Amino acid sequence: MKNRVRLLKLTIICVLIISSTTGCWNRRELDNLAIVTGIAIDKIKDSGKTQLTVQIVKPAELKREGGGGTGKAYVNNTNTGDTIFGSIRGFTHKFSQKLYFQHNQILIFSLDIAKEGVQKYIDFFLRDPETRLTVLVLVAKDKAGEILDVEPQLQKIPAMDITNILEAQSATSQSSQVKLEQFLTRLMSKTTAPIAPLIEISGEGSEKVALISGMAVFKKDKLAGQLNAIETRGLLWVIGEVKSGIIDVDSPDGNGKVSLEIVRASSKITPEIKDGKIHIKVKITEEGNLGSQSSLENYALPRAVESLEKMKAAAIRSEVLAVLKKARKLNTDIFGFGDSVYKKYPKLWQELETRWDEIFPQIEVEVAVEAKLRRLGRITEPANPEKE
Amino acid sequence: MQIEKGQISSSQLVLLIVGFIQGSTLTVTFSYGVTRHDTWLVVLTGLAISIPFALVYIALVQKFPGKNLVQINDLIYGPYLGKLFSAFYLLFFLSLSAANLRYLGDFILTYVLPETPMIAVLIMFTFVCSWAVRSGIEVIARCNIIFVVVTTVIVGSTFVLLLQDMKLTNFLPVFVTPLKDFIHGTHVMAAIPFGETAVFLMVMPYLNKIKHAKSSFMLGLLIGAITLLTVTFRDIAVLGNTITIISQPSFEAVRLINIAKIITRLEIFVAVVLLVTFFIKISLFYYATLLGTAHLFSLRSYGPLILPMGILIISFTILIADSTMEQVSSASNIWPFYTIPGEFLLPSLTLLVAKIRGLPENQGGKFR
Amino acid sequence: MIGFILKKLRFWQMLKFNPKKEDYTTKLPQSEISHDLGKNLKILKDIMGTSRDIIFREFAFGHRGQVKGAIIFIDGLTDKSTINQSIIKPLMFDSRLTGPEEKLDNDYIDLIKTTMLYAGDVEQVTSINDIVDGCLSGDTILFINGCKDALLISTEGWESRGVEDAKTDAVVRGPREGFSESLRTNTALLRRKIKSTEFTLETMVIGKRTKTSVCIAYLKGLANPSLIEEVRRRLERINTDAILESGYIEQFIEDAPFSLFSTVANSEKPDVVAAKLLEGRAAILVDGTPFVLTVPMLFIESFQSAEDYYSRPYFASLIRTLRFLAFVISVLNPAMYVAVSTFHQELIPTPLLFTQAAAHEGIPFPAVVQALIMGVFFEILREAGVRLPRPVGQAVSIVGALVIGEAAVSAGVIEAPMVIMVAITAVSSFVIPAQTDVGAILRIIYLILAGTMGGFGILLGLIGTLIHLASLRSFGTPYFSPLAPLTARDLKDVFIRAPIWAMSTRPRTIDLKGSQRQKSNLKPDPPSDE
Repeated sequence: MKNRVRLLKLTIICVLIISSTTGCWNRRELDNLAIVTGIAIDKIKDSGKTQLTVQIVKPAELKREGGGGTGKAYVNNTNTGDTIFGSIRGFTHKFSQKLYFQHNQILIFSLDIAKEGVQKYIDFFLRDPETRLTVLVLVAKDKAGEILDVEPQLQKIPAMDITNILEAQSATSQSSQVKLEQFLTRLMSKTTAPIAPLIEISGEGSEKVALISGMAVFKKDKLAGQLNAIETRGLLWVIGEVKSGIIDVDSPDGNGKVSLEIVRASSKITPEIKDGKIHIKVKITEEGNLGSQSSLENYALPRAVESLEKMKAAAIRSEVLAVLKKARKLNTDIFGFGDSVYKKYPKLWQELETRWDEIFPQIEVEVAVEAKLRRLGRITEPANPEKE
Repeated sequence: MQIEKGQISSSQLVLLIVGFIQGSTLTVTFSYGVTRHDTWLVVLTGLAISIPFALVYIALVQKFPGKNLVQINDLIYGPYLGKLFSAFYLLFFLSLSAANLRYLGDFILTYVLPETPMIAVLIMFTFVCSWAVRSGIEVIARCNIIFVVVTTVIVGSTFVLLLQDMKLTNFLPVFVTPLKDFIHGTHVMAAIPFGETAVFLMVMPYLNKIKHAKSSFMLGLLIGAITLLTVTFRDIAVLGNTITIISQPSFEAVRLINIAKIITRLEIFVAVVLLVTFFIKISLFYYATLLGTAHLFSLRSYGPLILPMGILIISFTILIADSTMEQVSSASNIWPFYTIPGEFLLPSLTLLVAKIRGLPENQGGKFR
Repeated sequence: MIGFILKKLRFWQMLKFNPKKEDYTTKLPQSEISHDLGKNLKILKDIMGTSRDIIFREFAFGHRGQVKGAIIFIDGLTDKSTINQSIIKPLMFDSRLTGPEEKLDNDYIDLIKTTMLYAGDVEQVTSINDIVDGCLSGDTILFINGCKDALLISTEGWESRGVEDAKTDAVVRGPREGFSESLRTNTALLRRKIKSTEFTLETMVIGKRTKTSVCIAYLKGLANPSLIEEVRRRLERINTDAILESGYIEQFIEDAPFSLFSTVANSEKPDVVAAKLLEGRAAILVDGTPFVLTVPMLFIESFQSAEDYYSRPYFASLIRTLRFLAFVISVLNPAMYVAVSTFHQELIPTPLLFTQAAAHEGIPFPAVVQALIMGVFFEILREAGVRLPRPVGQAVSIVGALVIGEAAVSAGVIEAPMVIMVAITAVSSFVIPAQTDVGAILRIIYLILAGTMGGFGILLGLIGTLIHLASLRSFGTPYFSPLAPLTARDLKDVFIRAPIWAMSTRPRTIDLKGSQRQKSNLKPDPPSDE
């Protein structure tokens, strides 16, 4: 009797377990996936609908070395719909495979979309469990979809190429990669304006290349303006995001230029409220090496180094001032001054927050730059044939 | 009559409590929405509030060595009222296991297996839990050690890997949460991860050295709180203000790990942590419910109850909420109040009555 | 369906309640030896049958050959020269020099035993049963007409393999000798390692027909008495007709007969067994097999090789850790691969995903089916390689390698990464010989779990395995200790192998007292130069 009950129980458990495991609900073989590497969002002017361009990898083509060479390793396709999710699902009419976003690298908004406000477009990319916050956000200077069509010069997949280009921006610090997570943090903050690198197509025909240039500045979620390369680096100086780069200064003796390489930099923003007025102190510390020089002056002397350091500091300062001017003009707090005030004076903030748009252009900003020159490289003096 | 014959050592108890509290890393989320970047403070206040109640649990267990909650209730309130209170507790434990199972199911359905019916996930998971429960508290305690080690290693290493993404300014300004929200958050924290340790009233009696109960419990609570603190700290420092809208901050934070493009996409480890710690948590609730039921009806063993109770828990899990939204909002707003009698009021009352009635009478008295 | 099952069950129960009366023993007439030699010989011939290898040698000896006697032995089991030199010669030649016998009774046979036989081990017996048993195990029986007793003279000697290299558990550094098939040789090998009076052997005979000698070896005072008592109890319980190998015993005395994991360890090497005895374990030696069982067994024992202790601790620790890794790989690798490539593609780094997807292009089978095909094929290949004579085995492995490695991929049946995965798994599975069988079964279970529920399934499987391991016991010792329950002091010999001088206590999990095995300050301390 006991055995019988036991067997009955065992049967029930087995049936339950087998019935719950045989579904294979989530199994997707690799060939059933359309691996999306890039998404571009455009707006169709006439109908006001959203046009979605997705870039899908064709792995077999990617693997084929040399030989064939005719097939592209990717395919771009567009679909239009009222909402993002709607148009994504609409792709099922065109592809047998399901779009797979876990490996999506970039998200490009067209200028129209950015002007209209990106909030309603990014919601899907935040909400869907298959999307990631590490996606890089870009803004196209014109149509977004075309950017994905630009055949990369060295790599096989445009989206991967753009990702690598964005990553390489840290060598000049004249643009910066912005992850969706960073974009979101700025979007959700009290005042800090979101930024995103700008991308455009330059050249014609087969010479076409995708080019990263400067940054787009948002006010809330709407595009407010654009920063050029110098302003961008100015911004990056302030927020301490400069990784590397070259500062060209005039040689102290006046004939020639000196290129100084940035090795490391940091910044500190200290807000202070004096007599009800906000006063912000930005302290930038930079260290660098001598990269190259076109003058014949010998900088291997402490005094020359000092003068170079001063010129470098002045150059940095001018970049910072340029972006400050631009930010005031656009009235966008790209530096996060508002947040720094809030963090230091949370009590006063409630009152300031409502008037922030008025306050921001009037904020007094003090920029202090401390630039250091550390090393000269492999040679000391320039190779000078006339010198004995 | 003793149903559970196994014994656990004091170090096993410490780790059981640690594992139990680590199982709440998922449920800390309910506080993020309320107290935002001050949540780490809430962890501390929650701990502070729960310590006196932990002392009550310990005092109860030490007063009646070797007796679990159901037996204690019988002793203190007599057979009828005691059984009533015990029945309330069993319902409470049952609903806790269902609620926790529901969090887990929601998590798995959102992130791991979105197209799988929840019932399949629940059946598989409950089956594994019932397997553990069938083997008794000793086996749960033994497995737990390995799970705690795994969890601690993963929490520690993700913390280190995310150091470069952390911004300490995310914690500023400190303590700006309105007092009302702060109390709300503290209440959630005290009730969900810490207060749920009331279930140890069913486990602690099987400690082999009952006089170590106090130090073990406190140590476990402390280490568990440190883990929770580490997790909250990591999430807030990495995610900053976005934490309020993200439904699984731990998961999203770990998704951001990117060390030289090689060490990336590590979120599976968070899922592993959640699964194993939830396994411990749900197994303990499941065990407490079973053991209590067996004692309530004076059975010789809880073996025959395992299957029906498992089915009951699964059904309860499905019925408990229609949607994740309902679940989360009840966890944050209703649940803390629902737990008050079970976690805070009744144990204190029991201890008080025991004091007044002068129980237990001398060793070897009529109640033994 | 349930009705059908119940019917089946009733049938089983019937079997259980009315077991067929099986005669496990060859019942012998419990008779005593009689005075009459002829009668004795007749009884024996009846019992022993007419097999040609049983020799009945009758002869006359004593003063003027007045005494009639007979020896009985089995040709092949006995050493002929011993019989000739130590029994027949003294009796037939030396006894002629003695005076006339006064009386042929038991005193006479005692006289022969004490003064005439040159054999070392002589026993005086009275029952036919004892005689038959002795004869079958290689003793020679001496009957003397008129005596009610017979002599059982130990003359065992048969062809057997000598002490050779152990085939399993080979070491580069360390003793190479392995046990042989002869029980006596094996006990001698052990006694040569442990020259202590504490070394105790308890012999019992199991198997009603095979009458296999089984020996419990342990160190008195070191091994837990309750453990020895338990071993004895379980061995005594065995009531079967045949024990041919220690594997029979293992299956009779296991703690968890339905578990995948074996809770009885075996070894072919005397040094390994000696080390285990010295930790407080008991060994069970079975006549006729070089494999010696040791109990209790811990899970981690499978990962400890004899050489770990002979080489220096750093390398030993590295290898120890690698072994654990190899076990995990051998069990989980195909499952992980399937789970990641069909459920959790988000975990693959992007460039790798492209390669992976390219490799999968055009393959008709889902990953889980490929893994199963390859897994099964590998097991077949392995089995073929093990059983076949070496030259043929090589041919098999070449064919296998070609088919698995090359053809399957280029034909587009199996994706290339799968071949790598299976190969890694296969190589890893050979690292821990003691758990190869468990690994093969677990691998398939995990593969199925991964194929249906992905990583969630694998994790549930792992939790289940852990629960099972934590609940197993081997002769009272928790099988998964010292990991679960955690015994911190014993971790010195799990993932790392502490230096020998630092392992001053015996493992607590075996020897509950955790007693000292050496002085605790043995760290080498050479005098400094200055």
